[in-house]
Amino acid sequence: MSTLLLTHTASSLNHKVSEGHPERPDRIRAMEKALSQDTFKPLVRDEAPMGDLETVKLCHDESYVEEIRAMSPKQGLVYLDGDTMMSPGTWEAVMRGVGGANAGVDAVVSGKAQNVFVGTRPCGHHAERNRAMGFCFFDQAAIAARYAQKKHGIGRVAVVDFDVHHGNGSQDIFWADPTVMYCSTHQMPLFPGTGAAQERGEHDTIVNAPMRPGDDGVKFREAFEGVILPQLQKFSPELIIISAGFDAHWRDPLANIQLDEKDFGWVTRKLMDVADKSAGGRIVSVLEGGYDLQGLHDSIVEHVSALMGH
Amino acid sequence: MASNASADVTTMTFERAIEELESIVKRLEDGKVPLEESVAIYERGETLKRRCEELLRQAEARVDKITTDANGAPVGTESLDVR
Repeated sequence: MSTLLLTHTASSLNHKVSEGHPERPDRIRAMEKALSQDTFKPLVRDEAPMGDLETVKLCHDESYVEEIRAMSPKQGLVYLDGDTMMSPGTWEAVMRGVGGANAGVDAVVSGKAQNVFVGTRPCGHHAERNRAMGFCFFDQAAIAARYAQKKHGIGRVAVVDFDVHHGNGSQDIFWADPTVMYCSTHQMPLFPGTGAAQERGEHDTIVNAPMRPGDDGVKFREAFEGVILPQLQKFSPELIIISAGFDAHWRDPLANIQLDEKDFGWVTRKLMDVADKSAGGRIVSVLEGGYDLQGLHDSIVEHVSALMGH
Repeated sequence: MASNASADVTTMTFERAIEELESIVKRLEDGKVPLEESVAIYERGETLKRRCEELLRQAEARVDKITTDANGAPVGTESLDVR
């Protein structure tokens, strides 16, 4: 079966940010350059559709969703905090991210694809149930997990997050949910301050494996092999959603972890092994962070190549 | 960043460095640091930590000289150059 790539270039480029902001449109250009290589010709490509607002409410309070929609500016930028801002194009970009992640779920459940990479911006895993932060508005990975349960009747879903920042939003959303396991490797201390190993959720379905600044691929692999993969295998997910951030790359300016692109290929294959055992191979991977354009480019090459079975 | 963040760490007293370091740790733990500044603030914290460690090493070196020199007899207050 194939790997599906879901993107929406125009809307991803139209989410404007302030001068010098790291979460910038060039990230999408770097991704598209990476995926234009001949290696990726077998990818099935489609547009990320607009998301259904009702699915956003599976993870975010209705009042918060309406508040974000109402804040969408006609011109200029509206700041939600020092990091997070909306331009006139932001709403569509965010909703294409939600729609893309949900369409990815539809594709793997229907058998149209074995796995999916959703390459949109902005990222989502910092968005809490009723709070935008850290460049994020709605948590598309979390929404896709709940959408898979509600629309397709999938029981256990795992959200695995290797972005260098802890996904406080995903943890917040799934804290008391025994049907979704949230696993994360991330740097500590660093934004947003959450993600200690003792944060385990109400049902032991939150699995945090924090890394120290300066840690490299050896420590990253130890965190997965020693902590996350055993928990994941025990949980036996029927679908895996990846919050695929590539800012643990050594080149990245927003963190101090020393992974190289091969580490992202390695972890992708490990997650595919888990998915093969309990989820019929079904993986939907959603782009999160990654702020060095070369590091992002090289990491996406390795990640998507792995998804394609290379 | 706060105005004291630009102060030269190499000339800071131990008390001032540890005070700022504690403030940085608290901000990081509370999640009150913007994502974009998070690394810069962490790295400032690392510099402050190194300054505190350096000052502690200097203090230990002075104590060592007093306690180990002169066949067990106090040497007085002569400082040790540990650069």
